Amino acid sequence: MRILIVEDDPHTSTFIAKGLTEDGHTVDQADNGRDGLFLATTEAYDAIVLDRMLPAVDGLTVLRTLRGSGNAVPVLVLTALGDVDHRVEGLRAGADDYLVKPFAYAELSARIDSLLRRRHAPSAETTELRVGDLELNLLTREARRAGRTIELQPREFRLLEYLMRQAERVVTRTMLLEAVWDYHFDPQTNVIDVHISRLRQKIDRHHPKPLLHTVRGAGYRLGVRE
Amino acid sequence: MNRISRALNAARSTSARLALAIGGLFLMSYLLLGAGLYVAVSAIFAQDLHEVIRLDSADLVEMYKESGLSAMRTEIAERTAAPEDDNAVYELIGPKGELLAGQFASLPEAVRKSDGWVEFDENTEGGVVKVVAKMQALKGGGVLLTGRRSRNQERFEALVRRTSLFALLAAAGLGGLIGWITARLVARRLESTYDITRRVGAGELALRIPEDDSDDSFDRLAKRINAMLDRIQELLDGVRHATDHIAHDLRTPLTRLRNRLEEMRSRDVPADQFAAELDAATAETDQLLATFGALLRLTRIEAQTARADDPEFALEPVVQDAAELYAPIASERGIVLDAQTTPCRLRGDADQLFQLVANLLDNALKYAAQGTRVTLRLYDDGDAVLLVVGDHGAGVPQADRERVFDRFIRLEEHRGSAGSGLGLSLVRAIAHRHGGTVTLEDNDPGLRAVVRLPHALPS
Repeated sequence: MRILIVEDDPHTSTFIAKGLTEDGHTVDQADNGRDGLFLATTEAYDAIVLDRMLPAVDGLTVLRTLRGSGNAVPVLVLTALGDVDHRVEGLRAGADDYLVKPFAYAELSARIDSLLRRRHAPSAETTELRVGDLELNLLTREARRAGRTIELQPREFRLLEYLMRQAERVVTRTMLLEAVWDYHFDPQTNVIDVHISRLRQKIDRHHPKPLLHTVRGAGYRLGVRE
Repeated sequence: MNRISRALNAARSTSARLALAIGGLFLMSYLLLGAGLYVAVSAIFAQDLHEVIRLDSADLVEMYKESGLSAMRTEIAERTAAPEDDNAVYELIGPKGELLAGQFASLPEAVRKSDGWVEFDENTEGGVVKVVAKMQALKGGGVLLTGRRSRNQERFEALVRRTSLFALLAAAGLGGLIGWITARLVARRLESTYDITRRVGAGELALRIPEDDSDDSFDRLAKRINAMLDRIQELLDGVRHATDHIAHDLRTPLTRLRNRLEEMRSRDVPADQFAAELDAATAETDQLLATFGALLRLTRIEAQTARADDPEFALEPVVQDAAELYAPIASERGIVLDAQTTPCRLRGDADQLFQLVANLLDNALKYAAQGTRVTLRLYDDGDAVLLVVGDHGAGVPQADRERVFDRFIRLEEHRGSAGSGLGLSLVRAIAHRHGGTVTLEDNDPGLRAVVRLPHALPS
């Protein structure tokens, strides 16, 4: 996939570019808003990583201009401003996701994957999700693995649905909290781990091939890949 | 110094103006009172005089009716020669206008021709004296003048005028004195306030304005300023304290991280251990980033204040979501999480409230003894929304219940356990930002955190 990074700090920019290249993406870089906007409008990208505070033209202006011209490319906004207000402002300007500095690369990588996948993700009309022999019926709200029904609490259902929609991708704990619990907060302990292990008990027990994997230093991945 | 003297001058002139105004009002009311008294007493005098004259005149007229003109002429001549009353004056004027008897060799034409009450001036050895008299026409011609010299009234009026002048002078002097004393007192009281606030501004933060507990405006001002200074000092101490702790709590893991990296560089670490070392270093960095993030968040929340235009939201689902998030951890530790909530509405930030409940639950579950019950209550006591989280753990000694809210404060016995030491600081910052308070109480045994939040303000 082709990704544009608009970030004025060369260290951060190089760090992200290196990681994304290793993940198998093609990367272009711009170190100010004007160049970033030029590249974003003249080239075709699959996703843009956009710093909020940029020289020349600031990040949100770049974003508004892009959206104003009808460009719907997925944009992940990077920022040192983590307030809810700032987040809301960023999302209103047209950001698809928002990541607060400092961040771990795994978090950025997982979020970029999620954005790229969203384009090809099952549409909202999909009524059934399937990963290996695990099935989730969104209408009847039934989960089955290898034909056997799995009893799920409402929150577990949402958790599993999110993981299945992001199948084979790494999702971080923060992403899960935001998507499944819908709160932006900072857990003191890894509460998510306990929920995941309960879910794992329900879907992977009695099955030789586990589907829900822990990715060290990053988060979780649901998929058939080992 | 210039500024202070200018300020003092302003204060002086303010009190001087006040004193002048009070003095002026005082003088004015005195004048009104004096004038009123003067008019009233004069009127009584005049009334008495008229009454005496009227009776005297009526007597003489009676005599005239009984005994005739010549008898009256004799009577008046006698009275004039040997007067019972020095101030009494009489004059009998004949039908042709001739003077028959009485004091006056001549009477002004205007008086002689008039009828009823007259007033005229008489030239005596002692000066001009005012005479009040009644002209009574007699049957068969002639006029009888019966009158009194109004010497007493004049004497009284002169006395009043003289006394008034003295009193006015005295009052003006007294007013000036009061003004001066007031100005002096105000200036002196303010002088210490000015001096101390100036010195505090220059950096002597421990200074306080003397309070005299009189509860007058100066005392109240002093108390208010002192309370403000206490609060500033408290905040500064907090910042100083926090800076020390940040330095300590961030420097320690950073040093550890640095040592680890150095060691990896200098020693030949086997390949399999190398990855483990790197993972440990990364985990250490993540912990640092988390602490740093929490600090930033704390600072931002502390800078916020409750506003009337904050969005209103239902607190109950937020609290229930938090309880649900922590329920698996509770059951994993064999703890019963007993949550009872009622619908409550609040103005503010739902994410922050979620964080608050999460931190309290996190703490309670961390320190509760296995097999015990952690209670979560949300209710409205009529005055405020109350959120109470109670556990039956080791609790916090009374002496430490305020201290544990400070940044990075972790009680000695918990130093080893996970956590940044910012959890309760964040709880307090969020409660304050929503106009509320948080207190720790004895849960007998264990600890109970009580968060009290004001109702959603009407917008």
